[in-house]
Amino acid sequence: MRFEKYFQPGSVEECCALLKEYAGKAKVLAGGTDLVPRLKMGLLKPTAVIGMMDIPGMDEITLSEEGLTLGALANLRKISLDSRLDQDYLVVKEACGHVSSMQVRNMATIGGNACNANPSADAIHGLILNDATAVIASDKGVREIPILEFFAGPGKNTLEQGELLVKFVLPKVKPRTGAAYKKFAIRGDSDISIVGAGARLTLAEDGTVAEARISLGAVAPTPMRAVKAEALLSGKAPGEELFRQAAEAAAEECSPISDQRASREYRLEMVRVWVRHALEEALERAK
Amino acid sequence: MYEEKMRFELTVNGKRQVVYAHPSKTLLEVLREELNLTGTKRGCDDSNCGVCTVLLDGKAVKSCTMLIVQAAGHKVTTIEGLETEKGLHPLQQAFIDHFAVQCGFCTPGMILTAKAILDENPDATEDEIREGLHGNLCRCTGYKSIVEAIEAVRDGDYGDYVINWQEV
Repeated sequence: MRFEKYFQPGSVEECCALLKEYAGKAKVLAGGTDLVPRLKMGLLKPTAVIGMMDIPGMDEITLSEEGLTLGALANLRKISLDSRLDQDYLVVKEACGHVSSMQVRNMATIGGNACNANPSADAIHGLILNDATAVIASDKGVREIPILEFFAGPGKNTLEQGELLVKFVLPKVKPRTGAAYKKFAIRGDSDISIVGAGARLTLAEDGTVAEARISLGAVAPTPMRAVKAEALLSGKAPGEELFRQAAEAAAEECSPISDQRASREYRLEMVRVWVRHALEEALERAK
Repeated sequence: MYEEKMRFELTVNGKRQVVYAHPSKTLLEVLREELNLTGTKRGCDDSNCGVCTVLLDGKAVKSCTMLIVQAAGHKVTTIEGLETEKGLHPLQQAFIDHFAVQCGFCTPGMILTAKAILDENPDATEDEIREGLHGNLCRCTGYKSIVEAIEAVRDGDYGDYVINWQEV
């Protein structure tokens, strides 16, 4: 698992310069909980590893009038225990709290969870449901993209050579909003999700659905939104039958595979179940 | 270039240590092979089983999947750091008294995770203890007695529980 060079830059600029210099031959070390096992198994053979821990402010969790900012190095366990997020960003905490064990959460970061681009990633659902923007730096400057455009396929993100994920910005949460994330796995949080399902509902003053978000994990090459199911919910009065229809629509939109954890058919059935549960809880929280 | 070692400083069990190691070494490898602290075990070696658990600045982490560079400048507590001149740590004694040790291989990791649970929440409920132990496997299946041992410490059977990771 040996790499030749190790760097610990003190700034984003310095880090981007190194990433450019090693053009695809460098890996960024955040929490290391995914990178280190892959280095050990020989799945990754970078020439250089770049530790981010000396870059100031990268791990900050900032709540302000504009919304929530999560530095790429923001720790999953810290996010999951941050009581400032209880009011508006409970689902962000919830999704981060479902990642593996306490020990892994104590090291793993939100940026790492996104960069690994695992279809079954849990922590990023709070970002998807809240329409987060990814802020990406390079020597050309800073660009911002919607979170879903960050994922390209299993294990692939859309960062270009020389680019570094710096932070996520989540907009302010509208009144009468509730959101929930459900992880379905056999052995609890330590296990990889068979299906992950998240939902956000923002209600209008008359109680109908003003805006809906449904996120799905482990049922497509990337984490995804079920946009047809979202459209189906919009403008209608929330309730059991509507949620059942939305869950059905979500199942039709996704494209799960069969693997050692579950068959395609079982995953589709579980999407129907867990989208419904996520919507029910989101509604409860929106009220 | 491949053999180039770097200098790292870290505090292990209250003692400042300087180690020279390649940055690709894991904390587990440095603890066992450079510092001779073999109480920390190597099990699955990919962060599933939890036998390599140590405390990093008081937080439970899996030392098999973190690089030494991530521990540099921090305080590490291993199982060797729990005993004082007054005797075993209450959790160590409780594990013995409650037969929470069978083969013993998971025990160092279990005890350090247990310490992290109680240090963070001295009133942890049974559910919270079980949730905290989620990342630690015992294949002798002694979970029941392990939870009971931790509950005994929580309930004061071994005196007032003192949160002391800063000192060790």
